[in-house]
Amino acid sequence: MDHRFGRAAYLLVYDEESGSMDVFDNRSNAGEHGVGPGTARVLFDMKAEVLITGNGPGGNAAAVLERAGIRIFTGAGNMRVKEAYENYKTNQLIKFN
Amino acid sequence: MKEIVVISGKGGTGKTSVTASFGVLAGEKAVIADCDVDAADMHLLLDPDFSDEHDFYSGEVAVIDNGACTFCGLCKEECRFNAIRIVDGRFSVNPVKCEGCGYCARICPEKAISNKPVKSGRYFVSAIRTGSTMVHARLSIGASNSGKLVATVKEVARKQAAKLGVDIILVDGSPGTGCPVISSLAGAGYVVFVTEPTISGFHDLKRVARLTADFKIPAGCIINKSDLNTGIAREVRAFLEDHGITLLGEIPYDAAFSRAITIGKTVVEHDEGRLSELLKGSWNKLMDVI
Repeated sequence: MDHRFGRAAYLLVYDEESGSMDVFDNRSNAGEHGVGPGTARVLFDMKAEVLITGNGPGGNAAAVLERAGIRIFTGAGNMRVKEAYENYKTNQLIKFN
Repeated sequence: MKEIVVISGKGGTGKTSVTASFGVLAGEKAVIADCDVDAADMHLLLDPDFSDEHDFYSGEVAVIDNGACTFCGLCKEECRFNAIRIVDGRFSVNPVKCEGCGYCARICPEKAISNKPVKSGRYFVSAIRTGSTMVHARLSIGASNSGKLVATVKEVARKQAAKLGVDIILVDGSPGTGCPVISSLAGAGYVVFVTEPTISGFHDLKRVARLTADFKIPAGCIINKSDLNTGIAREVRAFLEDHGITLLGEIPYDAAFSRAITIGKTVVEHDEGRLSELLKGSWNKLMDVI
């Protein structure tokens, strides 16, 4: 996992129903400012329902995610993706919003 | 690996002096990252050797290919930043005025304009006299700190720490609560606030405390110049208590604090007495709570 939300290089998209996984390359979202809202918009466009990340998004990005009704879970910055997902399933991550 | 980020909200509270002192107390056990790049001054205290240097690019600027340009003048007409001028009979871009929006490149009928990344400064991986490593940056004239630059400095510091087998990264954050500060909090394991009992110091403490509470990062606070205003100092202590922020120490106003800066030393190196003891006490308490 990446500690960062806005500047995370890749987003791994997991569809729980079909069990399929997709990778979104987020590396082009690398401006000086405002990358958090940019990544939030990507999640909005892909109709994500749950976000699992490190310390969490900043205020502006959090506002976008909240409007989009995306639930945010944090505390996964030091985990592997698999571990992060298992911790989410067993309610061991921190609820951000 | 534990990342400790020191922020203050208000500038001038003694944040960098405290961070540099902690750096000396940590010795080889901590890699230092100076993320206060707009007004970077920790290098004055820790004397880095600027040994390993890298260019940093941020933003873009338009460049005109004079071979392809047909002098139609559309770019000059349309640029709302007035960044296109005629020099020696050729169209050229004034890089100071150009915002890198890319509109001229889009409308140029000859496709003679393109955007190029701008070198906005350099960052360094330096050896410092504590026996450790410091990652820091220097901006070009007119360039400003950004979340991107902070992310770069922190990333390099993390890699250095991993390489050296060091557990602690000590980050000097920037003032305010904006993009660079938010960027400095990514991956932070603990936040230290350095505040002072003034109206603006307390006001900004509340703002940074709210920010770190949003991220649910545990925090501690040092009240510097604690005897400046005993009334506000009392309010600050009550605020810390109410918000579950550990009081790591109080440092009364002492001219030796600024004297240390003027001779380019950290407070703990310059002052052998009370200030040094108080800072050591705060550092030990910090090591206990993280």
